Amino acid sequence: MSIGNPRISGGVALAALLAFGTILGTSARADEVNRATLYGDMTTVSQDMLNRAGQDANNFLMTHGDYTQKRYFPNRQINTMNVRHLHPAWIFQTEVKETQETAPIVVDGVMYVTTAFDHVYALDARTGAELWHYKQPLGAITTYCCGPNNRGVAVYGNMVYLATLDSKLVALDAKTGKVAWQSDIADPELGYSETMAPTAVDGKILIGTTGGEYGIRGFVKAFDAKTGKLIWTFSTIADNSTGVWATKDATGQDLHRDIAAEKAALAKLGDPAKKLGGGVWQNPSVDLANRRIYFVVGNPSPDLDGAPRPGDNLYTDSLVSVDLDTGKYVCHFQYVPHDLWDLDAVSATVLVDAKDEHGASVPAVLHAGKTGFVYVNDRKDCHLIRFSEAMVPQENMFALPTPGVGTRMLPGANGGVEWSPMAVDPTLNLTYAINLHQPMHYSVKSAAYPDGKLWLGGAFTVIPEEEQWGNVTAVDYNTGKIRWQVKTAQPMIGGILATAGGLVFTGEGNGFFKAYDSSTGAELWRFQAGAGVNAPPSGYTVEGREYIVVGAGGNAQVDSKRGNNIIAFTLD
Amino acid sequence: MPTWILAVFAALALIAPAHADGIAEKVTLCASCHGENGVPVDAKIPVIWGQNAGYLYIELRDFKRGARASEVMAPVVADMSRDEMMALAEYFSKKPWPNLAQKPADAATAEHAQAVANSAQCSQCHLAGFLGASLVPRVSDQGYDYLLTTLEAFRSGARANNAWMTDLMKAYSEADIKALAAYLAGL
Ligand code: HEC
Ligand code: HEC
Repeated sequence: MSIGNPRISGGVALAALLAFGTILGTSARADEVNRATLYGDMTTVSQDMLNRAGQDANNFLMTHGDYTQKRYFPNRQINTMNVRHLHPAWIFQTEVKETQETAPIVVDGVMYVTTAFDHVYALDARTGAELWHYKQPLGAITTYCCGPNNRGVAVYGNMVYLATLDSKLVALDAKTGKVAWQSDIADPELGYSETMAPTAVDGKILIGTTGGEYGIRGFVKAFDAKTGKLIWTFSTIADNSTGVWATKDATGQDLHRDIAAEKAALAKLGDPAKKLGGGVWQNPSVDLANRRIYFVVGNPSPDLDGAPRPGDNLYTDSLVSVDLDTGKYVCHFQYVPHDLWDLDAVSATVLVDAKDEHGASVPAVLHAGKTGFVYVNDRKDCHLIRFSEAMVPQENMFALPTPGVGTRMLPGANGGVEWSPMAVDPTLNLTYAINLHQPMHYSVKSAAYPDGKLWLGGAFTVIPEEEQWGNVTAVDYNTGKIRWQVKTAQPMIGGILATAGGLVFTGEGNGFFKAYDSSTGAELWRFQAGAGVNAPPSGYTVEGREYIVVGAGGNAQVDSKRGNNIIAFTLD
Repeated sequence: MPTWILAVFAALALIAPAHADGIAEKVTLCASCHGENGVPVDAKIPVIWGQNAGYLYIELRDFKRGARASEVMAPVVADMSRDEMMALAEYFSKKPWPNLAQKPADAATAEHAQAVANSAQCSQCHLAGFLGASLVPRVSDQGYDYLLTTLEAFRSGARANNAWMTDLMKAYSEADIKALAAYLAGL
């Protein structure tokens, strides 16, 4: 247990804490000289830096680049003309050879990466030399569906923030890796767990939760960045979760619901809100002008069995906006009411200006679904402006899962687009998504709520004799049309980065890390990393030299080859 | 009922009145079946030394709740508090995994088992080397007889505390399960 832990109580501990606090206070003040500009040695991450992260060609300050989550790195030193000369600057090997999903964060030449089982490393971003290494001492109980993943840290002030598999929020001193405080987010024995990176904004640390496979009741919470105290909680499951009994999904396809039977079940069972799932897998985007955040909510529990959960199951499989300061509901839009396929909403939202139905440019929010559609919604009231052409084959879509072997349907339950964040090149009005094609059987089998254990209500199984593959797809968000698409040998999970150099970078389970021309999809460069590249790349610049960095450690969910590499690339 | 069980029930009767403050007596009781040096006294009893703490705790909890039925373990945990179960779990998880001197499966069996393991994606949860983590048990080098019994119990529904493992085992034949048990025991 650490200093500043809000759970410390009792006279002695408190007195010690206060005494220590005073000492810290003085030394911290001496250190607090505002030393330089964005391009100097600004090691303290200010709100101003975060607000302007999208234009910062030196640092990579947030999981998805900036508050709009465009993953657009504004340096053009590495570009379409010279990317073929890209080569490793250094490779850092972590202690953990397991599933790797970290999005590297870079502040003034210092890089922060995480690994499976919640290790954090601070590295010299120029050389890959280790500055410090923190291992979260995980509690006995951690519950997670899809591997002991961690997707990275948030940085704010002098702190680095980590959310852990045993559902704790930890603040580390950015210089030393020492724990400043630790707070409980939720009870892991009930199925709550953290794999996402937190988001830091205006003195708050925002965090969602996983557990949609375990009968949780999902949330987004805001904690005080200085103290770790809870500020607000938004429940992603509405108290009245039944909704409007929609018979079609957002794109007008029939969901084959038996509304009469569901209403009868509701009368008997009551509202299923308590164990309805609704995890949040990815960082919210933050609209600073309106002080709203936008995030998507995952699947209802149990995944495949609708019988114990009559109604639309709000706000599962939905885009949701809440007030940044209070956590109060603003608006929502549900993509798949009463989901029976785990075709939920997990990839990060992206804020762009897009054309609305009348051709006017409006503040919009993008999301790529496991359905294989990119959805474009209006930020004002969350309504759907348009959806894209399907990025992967959709066959037998929304056919009901059946007992036994099950129903064949496409896309499979991993998508379409999994949690993998998109990237946007705003100069081209294109959003880039990576997809999976995995034909699956969807079968249903009712089971009672198993007290925080895996609760799928059936199974989705890959059909072994059918071919699987993936693709990288560029979608024009002003029209919904696919601009270009490149097929990959394997289903894709990880993420993508766009740069001002006219490039997009993304990796594959077979170890390839590739650069494509962002306007045409032409492959311009590839590198074999020796382990699955299933993590989102980042870009940064130190001493005038641009780097692209990515984790290559494989992935538990698609079972790609494990490794323990963080690889930074540069030009000579 | 095998004689070792009778002997232990006698021990149980003796210990019950003493009741534990601390877990020392409990540990002695556990050792009478799960082994003083971690090697269980009977092939149908699982190794608990070196097993993941979260899993040990959840099993004790499930024996107590009746979610995992066991005539043998139910009385052992009947009066245990959550803290005691957690302390026992931590204690045994820190012990080294014992050497059961089990032989690796022959090549044909191993190949058969690996084919099943690939299609069932066991490693997605049980991770590399079948060592598990937290709530997912280590199953490599667990005793063969126990593995076979418990996998078959999942399949028949006799072990009902994990719907996923039950559904999974139902998808495979008896021969597949035998191969898995032999393969895991020999890892
Ligand atoms: C009378 C013999 C006996 C005693 C005493 C005993 N156990 Fe067990 N234990 C068993 C048997 C037999 C099983 C297998 C039960 C089954 O699968 O139905 C078992 C199973 C378990 C399991 C589940 C392991 C797994 O791999 O699933 C745990 C954990 C466990 N025991 C812990 C303990 C602890 C801790 C104690 C002491 C407090 C203890 N046992 C005392 C016989 C015993
Ligand atoms: C979705 C995750 C998952 C998958 C896939 C999975 N398991 Fe398990 N397995 C578990 C969990 C969790 C438990 C603990 C069950 C409980 O709650 O008691 C378990 C328990 C077991 C046990 C019992 C161990 C003991 O000590 O009693 C064995 C043996 C086992 N699994 C083998 C396998 C094999 C072999 C495969 C592949 C054919 C497999 N599992 C696939 C999650 C999984």
